[in-house]
Amino acid sequence: MDRISAWAADLAATFYKCFIREDRYKLLLGGIGVTIKISLVAVLLGILIGLIIALCSLSKKKLLNILSKIYTDVIRGTPSVTQLMIIYFVVFATVHWPKWLIAAIAFGINSGAYVSEIFRAGIQSIDAGQTEAGRSLGLNGRQTMIHIVIPQAVKNIFPALCNEFITLIKETAIVGYVGLTDIQKAGDFIKSATFEAFMPLIGTAIIYFVLIKILTLALGRAEKHLRRSETH
Amino acid sequence: MIRVHNLHKHFGSLEVLTGIDEHISQGEVVVIIGPSGSGKSTFLRCLNLLETPTEGEIYVDDQLINSPKANVNKIRQKMGMVFQQFNLFPHLTVMDNITLAPVMLKRMTKDAAQAKAMELLARVGLAEKAGAYPAQLSGGQKQRVAIARALAMEPEIMLFDEPTSALDPEMVGEVLDVMKDLAKSGMTMVVVTHEMAFAREVGTRVLFMDQGVIMEQGTPAEIFGNARNERTQKFLSKVL
Repeated sequence: MDRISAWAADLAATFYKCFIREDRYKLLLGGIGVTIKISLVAVLLGILIGLIIALCSLSKKKLLNILSKIYTDVIRGTPSVTQLMIIYFVVFATVHWPKWLIAAIAFGINSGAYVSEIFRAGIQSIDAGQTEAGRSLGLNGRQTMIHIVIPQAVKNIFPALCNEFITLIKETAIVGYVGLTDIQKAGDFIKSATFEAFMPLIGTAIIYFVLIKILTLALGRAEKHLRRSETH
Repeated sequence: MIRVHNLHKHFGSLEVLTGIDEHISQGEVVVIIGPSGSGKSTFLRCLNLLETPTEGEIYVDDQLINSPKANVNKIRQKMGMVFQQFNLFPHLTVMDNITLAPVMLKRMTKDAAQAKAMELLARVGLAEKAGAYPAQLSGGQKQRVAIARALAMEPEIMLFDEPTSALDPEMVGEVLDVMKDLAKSGMTMVVVTHEMAFAREVGTRVLFMDQGVIMEQGTPAEIFGNARNERTQKFLSKVL
């Protein structure tokens, strides 16, 4: 009994040292804000870039096919840390935008390559008869794509997109490389300041887990809403 | 209304249509019959340019439609099409399936389009299904909605590509009944079908296609009662 209460007291002391003393929790809260900001902008940018690249790869114009192929090849063939550092220290070296925004752009560019492949598969999965029906009514190619094909494709690829978003959030844990304090880096700072490893790292893991769990639940509800037209 | 001159269509080295000349006037119900692979569907799909002709000219209301200058989208608004596989939009309700094109193409306001849709749904006997999704309908109901959807654009011509071929036998009748009503109302129709009874009863003219050309044509009485071409006779002896 004594051993257990001693252990609990020790744990509480470590917890206090890591998160409460010197307001260290504020470091983590700030980190959560940075992670969310970067992820949110990167996801939106990734969807936009992904859709454009997917449409380029499905286009009848050879040049657009080649450009989209090069884009996905280069992005998928290089590590995201390298891309982040190139974007931050080379491409945006002389641009004085907020650090987090530059990082978000880097992740958006990265995510776009993966999202484009998801979109391409989704658009190709829609029966050609849907396009023919739209065109036969007099809609032009773009109207048919936007109002008939893409809404159905999004429904089919939704689980794959969710997967990509979750991967993206976890990928942002490398932004410490360009001097941003996200959740991971905040945990790391606490580790160095307190010489404690267990508490800050487990705390970091729990924060990521909870964030992603909340997102998963929200996306699950969104998917149910999307699938309402399939009820019998 | 539709004039076709020397129409050819190749898919690679495969010659599906090998020279079709045809004239379809307003109010006609032209039924196209023939064996599989004879080019019936391809011919029909050329009429609204879902297939691009390799050679030849198609005029709709004296306008050459297969020229680079033609406004394909505008021309298609005059021609409704009904597909074998229905091709309803599964993510939209029956109502939205019908109103999507007229509203988006600014033919009608949303209210007017909805009123029109209800009128058309009543006409095809599905007024109570306005709020349903396609997945909740039977095949025959889907095809009737598809007909209503095409009619919502107030087309001058209706094209039917084997509209009953994907249906269970007991649902064929309900779709043919809608098509008969449409024919009676004076709609110009071009129908590719295997329903010989429909061709005989409703068609004003029957075209027999084989090997990418129109082998023989005439009134239903002429074709079904007294076919002159040997291939027509052979085909009819198999299907009748």
